[in-house]
Amino acid sequence: MNSNMILETDEICKHFGNIQAVNGVSLSVGHGEIYGLLGPNGSGKTTLIRLVIGLLRPTSGSVRLMGERVPNKAILAHVGYMTQASALYEELTVAENVTFFARMFGRYDPAWVKEAIELVDLHSRSRSLVRTLSGGLRQRTSLACTLAHKPRLLLLDEPTVGVDPLLRVTFWSYFRQLAESGVTLIVSSHVMDEAERCDRLGFLRQGKLLAEGSANELRRRAGSGTLEEAFLYFGSEKVAGGSQ
Amino acid sequence: MNLGRVFTLSQRVMRQVLRDHRTVALLVFAPLLVLTLGAILFRAEPPAISLGVVNEDRGVQHPVVGTIALGERMRDELDRSGAFILIPLSREEVDDRLRESAVQGVVVIPPDFSANTLASRRVVLYLRLEGSNPTRSQAITAQVTRAAMVTLATLTLTGGSAKNSAQTGEDDTGLPVSVQTTYLFGGAEFDTLDFVAPVYVAFLAMFFVFLLACVAFLRERSQGTMERLAATPATRTEIVLGYMIGLGLFALVQVTVILFYTVWVLNVHYRGSLGLLLLVITLLAVVGVNLGILASAFARTEFQVIQFIPLVIIPQVLLGGTFWAVADMPAYLQPVAHLMPIYYANQALRDVMLKGWGLAEIWPNLAVLIGIAGALFILSAWMIRREVT
Repeated sequence: MNSNMILETDEICKHFGNIQAVNGVSLSVGHGEIYGLLGPNGSGKTTLIRLVIGLLRPTSGSVRLMGERVPNKAILAHVGYMTQASALYEELTVAENVTFFARMFGRYDPAWVKEAIELVDLHSRSRSLVRTLSGGLRQRTSLACTLAHKPRLLLLDEPTVGVDPLLRVTFWSYFRQLAESGVTLIVSSHVMDEAERCDRLGFLRQGKLLAEGSANELRRRAGSGTLEEAFLYFGSEKVAGGSQ
Repeated sequence: MNLGRVFTLSQRVMRQVLRDHRTVALLVFAPLLVLTLGAILFRAEPPAISLGVVNEDRGVQHPVVGTIALGERMRDELDRSGAFILIPLSREEVDDRLRESAVQGVVVIPPDFSANTLASRRVVLYLRLEGSNPTRSQAITAQVTRAAMVTLATLTLTGGSAKNSAQTGEDDTGLPVSVQTTYLFGGAEFDTLDFVAPVYVAFLAMFFVFLLACVAFLRERSQGTMERLAATPATRTEIVLGYMIGLGLFALVQVTVILFYTVWVLNVHYRGSLGLLLLVITLLAVVGVNLGILASAFARTEFQVIQFIPLVIIPQVLLGGTFWAVADMPAYLQPVAHLMPIYYANQALRDVMLKGWGLAEIWPNLAVLIGIAGALFILSAWMIRREVT
């Protein structure tokens, strides 16, 4: 394995009672990559992300973030995690929410907060209470909250769920901007057309990594025209682990 | 109006309630618990009160019946009432025993008690009371007066001379029994409000901060920000401490307002240091915050938080010595009272407010309170860890 990787997981498994949420996943993601974690609902995407960040302890296997064994609180200062629902403090303003999380990460800089809010085009609403915001604005605030501490790794759990198509395009342009500035992004999704925008993809089903590669590679290997077909192909093959 | 719709709606409401098993259980169980506690406390025979007796009576030689020792009769009468456990004392140790709560009151029977009573047909007694609990003071005074009455009545039977019965008296100044009462703490002007107010203030502080912490933490989890916090380098200890300081400050402001109102508007008697009062109440508020965080782990909705009131709050009010002195509770309930954090705060607050005691006297209660706060702190920090990983 390449020690240059920002994230490496080694055969991690997570069982909840009889349910095997994540089953022997080995991932490695390099710097400045956008890695798409693709799979239907309940395929283990959220569990995998929570394992990576150390919010869950794996039943077996191990995770390394920036070369350090997870769980490691100190490393979290360089990681941004956007949860599925836009988790924000309703009684606070946009800027207060962003500032709060930046401070909790221990990496508060007013300029960075401003930058994060500007990146998601919320400058005009930064003094608005989150309570008064629409779903799309909340989602953008939520993203800003994961950015203001300048993380090197961003874990975005279905960031575009409930986001209208226009904003989805905007979000992906933010992601690309971030990746170009050297941030690594891991984006989970169950929408195949988003997958096209990722540098590399991992197909996840029933806790197993079915296949890994760029969208084109995966399509070619499956001999199919669309990613949906490719997903079904790898799923029916019933082979676990990313066959390179 | 469409009755079908009405019934469909009521069916849906019932179904929702029934799905929440805890609500159903509480609907039945909580009122029973609260009622039972109330019934026990209201019906409880107050346990015997420790009463010191200083009997210096020398008695009187009577030509017909021999020695008449009215002091002894008086003491027997107090004993027969069943209300007291009598403890013989000497005059010098009265205040010390009172201060250390070994006795709640002391009846002093003077040396010439028999002689004076026989001569004047009036009983004059001295009663020294601890005084911090007006209800108990009244109970003791009533029982002692009654015993003195009976003693005087037996005198009319044995001595036989005067026909003017003790019970009738002559006029209001010449009542046949005079119990001259003095107080170690407080005094005749202390009423039940004086007894209840200090702890009522503390209870309010704990109650609100408990609800505040419980709901705030619940929201933290339900809106997903707890998950987000867990993904920062912030430790569980930092989170709980942050809550404690943030909500504790509100409790402090609230308590200060209530305290000033109680003392200056409601004219509740107050001694001791205000700073010490605030310290005790702050500690109790810390307990409240941590209880709230702990309780929030067992609630899924804000409605379930409200359900903690009959389970967590009301028993503390009833059993923690807020309205009923713990010493007056049935013996089997008293150990339960000692499990309630509010009990220790109550003790300390009454000691400061009613007795004017300082840190030197109240530290044991403070120490227990700090211990409880510390234990709850560790527990609630552990609770967050459990739910995050």
